Amino acid sequence: MITTNQLLRCSISLAAGLTLTLIPVSAQRTTRAAEVPTFQVDPFWPRPLVNHWILGSVTGVAVDAQDHVWLVHRGMDSLTARTEAGLATNPPTAESCCAPAPYVLEFDSAGVLVNSWGGPGQGYEWPHTPAGIAVDGKGNVWIGGIFQMPAAMAGQSRPPTDAHVLKFTRGGKFLLQIGQAGKIEGSFSKTTLNQPAGFAIDTAANEVYVADGIANRRVVVFDSETGAYKRHWGAYGQPTSEAPVGTYDPDKPAEKQFNVVSCVDIARDGLVYVCDRRNDRIQAFKKDGTFVKEAFVSKSTLGEGSVWDIAFSNDPQQRFVYVADGSDQKVWVLRRDTLDVVSSVGAGGRWPGHFYGVGSLAVDSKGNVFTGETYEGKRVQKFLFKGLSAPAGGRQ
Amino acid sequence: MLVGGTFLTALLVLGATEWALDRAVGAQGRVVAPRFEVDPFWPKPLPNNWVLGETIGLGIDSQDHVWIVHRADRVNAIEGAADQNPPTAACCRKAPWVLEFDPAGNLVGHWGGPGQGYEWPASNHGIFVDYKDNVWIGGNDAKDSHILKFTKSGRFLMQFGRQGQSKGSNDTENFGRVAKIFVDPKENEAFVADGYGNKRVAVIDADSGKFKRYWGAYGNKPDDTNLGPYDPNAAPAQQFRTPVHCAELSNDGLVYVCDRPNDRIQVFRKDGTFVKEQFIAKRTLGDGSVWDIAFSKDPQQKYLYLADGKNEKIYVMDRESLQILTTFGDGGRQPGQFFAVHSIATDSKGNIFTTETYEGRRVQKFVYKGLAPVTRFDQGTVWPTPR
Repeated sequence: MITTNQLLRCSISLAAGLTLTLIPVSAQRTTRAAEVPTFQVDPFWPRPLVNHWILGSVTGVAVDAQDHVWLVHRGMDSLTARTEAGLATNPPTAESCCAPAPYVLEFDSAGVLVNSWGGPGQGYEWPHTPAGIAVDGKGNVWIGGIFQMPAAMAGQSRPPTDAHVLKFTRGGKFLLQIGQAGKIEGSFSKTTLNQPAGFAIDTAANEVYVADGIANRRVVVFDSETGAYKRHWGAYGQPTSEAPVGTYDPDKPAEKQFNVVSCVDIARDGLVYVCDRRNDRIQAFKKDGTFVKEAFVSKSTLGEGSVWDIAFSNDPQQRFVYVADGSDQKVWVLRRDTLDVVSSVGAGGRWPGHFYGVGSLAVDSKGNVFTGETYEGKRVQKFLFKGLSAPAGGRQ
Repeated sequence: MLVGGTFLTALLVLGATEWALDRAVGAQGRVVAPRFEVDPFWPKPLPNNWVLGETIGLGIDSQDHVWIVHRADRVNAIEGAADQNPPTAACCRKAPWVLEFDPAGNLVGHWGGPGQGYEWPASNHGIFVDYKDNVWIGGNDAKDSHILKFTKSGRFLMQFGRQGQSKGSNDTENFGRVAKIFVDPKENEAFVADGYGNKRVAVIDADSGKFKRYWGAYGNKPDDTNLGPYDPNAAPAQQFRTPVHCAELSNDGLVYVCDRPNDRIQVFRKDGTFVKEQFIAKRTLGDGSVWDIAFSKDPQQKYLYLADGKNEKIYVMDRESLQILTTFGDGGRQPGQFFAVHSIATDSKGNIFTTETYEGRRVQKFVYKGLAPVTRFDQGTVWPTPR
């Protein structure tokens, strides 16, 4: 009967789809024949957006305690009005597509958009280029910003540099602002920031760690309720410096300062991991800023660097660290104890499981990895955790 | 029960033959149209860390191989990091300009770029594989006034017109920024969508390149007067607005022309006699709505598929009436979504392939799922169902 045939065909095609979801995972450098996490891209997560909304460059991804996935993107500022956002121009140039989605989107674990908000409002300064998102243990949402007003534009009617972070309820009600847009006081400041790009929240201690950031090159810790300054440090736990940092050169001795602090994340055992992006390295600290260790990832990467964002595997020991590398278009898999690369996921391109500018990363309670792509990647992707297995060459 | 009854009707219609379906449409006013689902895993990942630039042309050959041409030189230094000197990252490198995929999505051939004896376009645009298995490529840079013809393996055969020599829409030796070519196997004539500079369809002998005829909108003599921006409230323009973006020949000998910024299809006989026109999404400004056309694979070519890279969708149309039956697609970077869907083609099984320019930069496959009642006029993103 035709209907049965059609159902059968449908299930066959779905099954075929699942078997094909394996994406290439190449074993980069295996220290021993240990098992590594394996993944399959889910091309149908999240569900299509409503209202002909599209994403701008995605600059932050987070997972909350309910396994809801949050993203922040740059909105119209990163979209091309003429070609991409014909419903958002005045007059509209298109009849049916497209317009930027609200800045902050919340998806449930099935990929259904359940809430959206963001943008300017009363009592706070919305960043010109929102970047970095985290949901703390109380369910509040933190957002940073990385716009830098070009020096030549000072005094003109340009937006001020993003030098602040914002805290909202999960519903988008404003709670707290630390720093002030355009107010730049340098890396010793206890009240101001400079293009902060990421967060980690120690809910038990009521502390927020800020990756600060593009210009201040430090980790700075505030009271997460009051915004009061607690402490800060630079690379190797040393005092910060206003001296210019040299262009990264893999053949030179390791740089003594950070060069773009794009993330900070706290493991369950209390170690604080920092993305030193343009220096191609991770540095790990105690919560008080004491330096513990560092590791280079894809050390020959130049330009914007290799260590863009970090997340941990979901096992109790968090045995693995995942590193989003928006230059090499990969997610690196590292052993957390040795910080050795044991595997990688992804390749450059626009198809599912490929990346352009993968710069954000988060893991849910099931071990699934969510990625956000900036530049013209402009999407969030889900990689299903498929358990541990021996790393295989070529196709997983 | 109403719901059950509706469901039963749907089942009956699904189980009927195409002939009966047509009868059902007539009897019940129910619209039936080809249905598609995106295949997110076609093609297979490219080797060598290759990435695509603006994917600006698409053709399907007699073996159902899928050909694309892209602008490798538009891969920027960030994305093409491995091509820099020194390389700034391990990924990525620009893929060769012309890529050939087998039906399973494996890359089976690649070539293209400057070479001896011909002028590679400054901005290649459009690819077509003719009935002799030769590959045609145009170019839409300001100085591209020529067409290239290669064998399938990339051996240069012919160049028609010379780069930088365009003398406008009444030039019978050169072209004006060609968008696309279609070769008529019956007459061995190439129909040229000409183009981004000229405002005409030009017809040449596919072997000698000799100009045979050309025409403008409504079959008028083309005129290069600047028409200014398209205005949906103005009287229909008596000339094409550049770019003239496609000229596709149906089996029954009609030429369907994409008058892109004018938001319309114009239909002609092979000799240039105007037959009819149809506006699509008429309030679309700027790049326009009518980007590329393909036909369904039944012998009658009952359906016409129109790619709209501004509204980011495919229109499924009745070819005879030029009425839109349903649409699918939407803006975005996920499977089945588009950023500037630029080119469209169908294989022998009725599957649709699309390519995206600007920052879309991919080829996608939409699997033909048979005829089905249209339950949603705007289907949005077409993913396999049920999930």
